[in-house]
Amino acid sequence: MSHDNQDNTSTEMFQRLGAITRQLHDALNQLGYTPVLKDTVDELPDARSRLEYIARLTGEAAEKVLNRVDEAKAEQERVIDSSRQLVETIRGVPGLKWAMPELLEWSEKIQQGAERTDHHLTEIMMAQDFHDLTGQVIKKVVSLAATIEEQLVQLLLHAAPQVLTDTDAKKVAEVAATPALNGPVVDPEGRTDVVTDQAGVDDLLASLGF
Amino acid sequence: MADLRFLIVDDFSTMRRIVRNLLKEIGHGDADEAEDGVVALHKLRNGKFDFVVSDINMPNMNGFELLSQIKADDKLKHIPVLMVTAEARKEDIIAAAQGGAAGYIVKPFTKATLEEKLANIFKKMGL
Repeated sequence: MSHDNQDNTSTEMFQRLGAITRQLHDALNQLGYTPVLKDTVDELPDARSRLEYIARLTGEAAEKVLNRVDEAKAEQERVIDSSRQLVETIRGVPGLKWAMPELLEWSEKIQQGAERTDHHLTEIMMAQDFHDLTGQVIKKVVSLAATIEEQLVQLLLHAAPQVLTDTDAKKVAEVAATPALNGPVVDPEGRTDVVTDQAGVDDLLASLGF
Repeated sequence: MADLRFLIVDDFSTMRRIVRNLLKEIGHGDADEAEDGVVALHKLRNGKFDFVVSDINMPNMNGFELLSQIKADDKLKHIPVLMVTAEARKEDIIAAAQGGAAGYIVKPFTKATLEEKLANIFKKMGL
């Protein structure tokens, strides 16, 4: 395609977009949707604060779980140490080992059970990473809501400037200017630009010689 | 292996705590934390650290900028940086490797993965 043709296509596209915008503007005014739009703009900060509330509460819940896990792991460590010492003591006294074999068996079971519980506690701790992952997604949605809000405010400023104050517009512009973080890939299906697990990361780095 | 001092960089306190506890379980109990790259860089320049475990998505200074600053600093560039992040885009993984990251772990991860990546890096370091 020649440069002139590209320019003509772009000009035509912008003219069409301009016409659509004008039609939308007229339709909003004629149909009385401006107040509805204003209500939507007013509701977006509330939606953002609800999401932030979820992020805060899930964060607090994760911290509570981690506190309990820390305490439980410390107790479990003491049980493991004590049961290990008990097993060694019983094994070191031949008479005791033969007279009460179940004593050694129970002590070994306590030790093994405590080690398994400690492993479960580590898994519970690891599962709290949901707060980091969901928190990043919530931040992204909050940022997206701010951008939509800003766009709607701009639309209102053009369609019905009387319904908005300067403070409204400034406040929204400030929130929307906050840079959005990327965060986790929520739906990797069908995407070739992302990996889905650690094996994917390792394969990619190995294929590049790292 | 001598006791290594770790710096864990992540804007989420939950994740910093998880990594810190995991490192302790693996046998590395000496660790400090930073909530973003700016704080991390300040701590690195004013203290002695042997290893950095860093997130990528952080406010103020992200993990890529932190990695770049560490590798550009003669006094810090020897410190291995392990990226532990939710970023699963191939371009991010490649950028981290090209920027000098010692390893890349994608969240959510397991204790075994962290242990394996650390062992690989220690081996390369001759530890």
